[in-house]
Amino acid sequence: MTGYYASILQGALLTVGVSLAALGVAILLGLAGATAKLSGRPLLVGLATVYTTLVRGIPELVLMLLVFYGGTIGLNHLISLLGFKATVDINPFVAGVLTIGFIYGAYMTETFRGAILSIPRGQMEAAWAFGMGRFQTFVRITLPQMVRYALPGFTNNWLVLIKATALVSLIGLKEMTYLAKQASSATREPFTFFLFAAALFLVYTSVSLWALRWLDRRFSLGVKRSAA
Amino acid sequence: MKHLFLSLSLVGAAALVGCGKSEAPAPAAAPAAEPAAAPAALPELKVAIDPTYQPFTFKTADGKPTGFDVDIAEALCKEIKRQCVFVEQVWDSMIPGLQAKKYDAIISSMSITEERLQVVDFSDKYYSTPSQIVVKTGTPFTDLASLKGKKLGVLKGSTQEKYALGELKPVGVNVVPYEAQDQVYLDIKSGRLDGTVADRVEVTGGFLSKPEGKDYGFVGPELNEEKYFGIGMGVALRKGETQLKDEINAAIKTIRSNGTYDQLAKKYFDFDVYGK
Repeated sequence: MTGYYASILQGALLTVGVSLAALGVAILLGLAGATAKLSGRPLLVGLATVYTTLVRGIPELVLMLLVFYGGTIGLNHLISLLGFKATVDINPFVAGVLTIGFIYGAYMTETFRGAILSIPRGQMEAAWAFGMGRFQTFVRITLPQMVRYALPGFTNNWLVLIKATALVSLIGLKEMTYLAKQASSATREPFTFFLFAAALFLVYTSVSLWALRWLDRRFSLGVKRSAA
Repeated sequence: MKHLFLSLSLVGAAALVGCGKSEAPAPAAAPAAEPAAAPAALPELKVAIDPTYQPFTFKTADGKPTGFDVDIAEALCKEIKRQCVFVEQVWDSMIPGLQAKKYDAIISSMSITEERLQVVDFSDKYYSTPSQIVVKTGTPFTDLASLKGKKLGVLKGSTQEKYALGELKPVGVNVVPYEAQDQVYLDIKSGRLDGTVADRVEVTGGFLSKPEGKDYGFVGPELNEEKYFGIGMGVALRKGETQLKDEINAAIKTIRSNGTYDQLAKKYFDFDVYGK
């Protein structure tokens, strides 16, 4: 019995690892996507629009199967066409992180874009007037203010991302939901182990909420608190 | 960019090595460290299982895959002189994983169906458990028509559902499909259903042997018509792997005739699990 709990805890570690790594990928893609969308250059705007439209429009499950299995089958096919005997085996952890990061990058793009638009344009213009370059303006002026506007949407995305990690079992990673399913089927006690996994998810999301609230306070220093 | 790709593939390679070790059956843990010294330099056969189907494939508390499927797989590997390496895979991506060459065979209670035969090959069957109708003990039963008006739950998309829609619905039985067999049991318990049509092994372990199932029992004959229930469970292989398929078919024949099969079956079942 305790063995099953231990295995679910191990799965929880994997869940934390996958979600944090995927968050990193999503933030990078989101920043890139948001700046591309706001750059005003037709090619970049077009690319970013195709990205967010496609990814937000296709169910995650389908994307995951498509990227991982479709990709592997395609690569293996190509290799055998070239006359080699070897087979490709994409590492599932990397694949899971990249797929989830790729999907949530699209949501982050929109969150960040909205946040940047909320910053009064005069702020950036003032920075340029002081002689700061585009990059300097972004890091010193836009980014810190954007964080504050982006946090509510970001928090939402993060919570959904955490729960989306339950999908990575599809590509062969043993995350906690799948391990809970294994345990409940072996013992035929569904509720015990699923409740345990649910509690672990709740702990994880609660801790994240607490950390994000701290961040929110930190980035709202010097801002007059509104009626809320 | 090149750099990134290189480091990614390095991470991948490292993780793969790690995975390989943890997925090997427990006794092999020591030889894994010194592959050259191990006497069993047999080529690997990667076998996919979804260990959520007790007593056929499930994991013990210490994480070892076990069950009838697993035992059969080990016996077959021994016959064809390969080393079984079990890969855990969720049911929903079982066949895509086979096609992506993540493993070479699926030995996880997969029934041989027309639809699956279009995308994979199957060995001969290695078992076929009968299904049966379960209702409250004492329910009058003479033939199927005597169940008229009863509400029976079935697993959506299952062979039992096919049977129920084909034979029970026409005589006036109310057939209700469910997403999972566990939900059927929950609804019997809460009184919304009169019974179920289910695999004998599944319903014995999941319901009849439990307190909530003590007032229920089988009625009617064991069901195994090929029209509804198919041929049975087979080893799924990629299309075109005829040599492996022939080897496995021969191995199934051998373990059937030399007593290995019966010895393994006895560990789990008190009836003939191979079927007719």
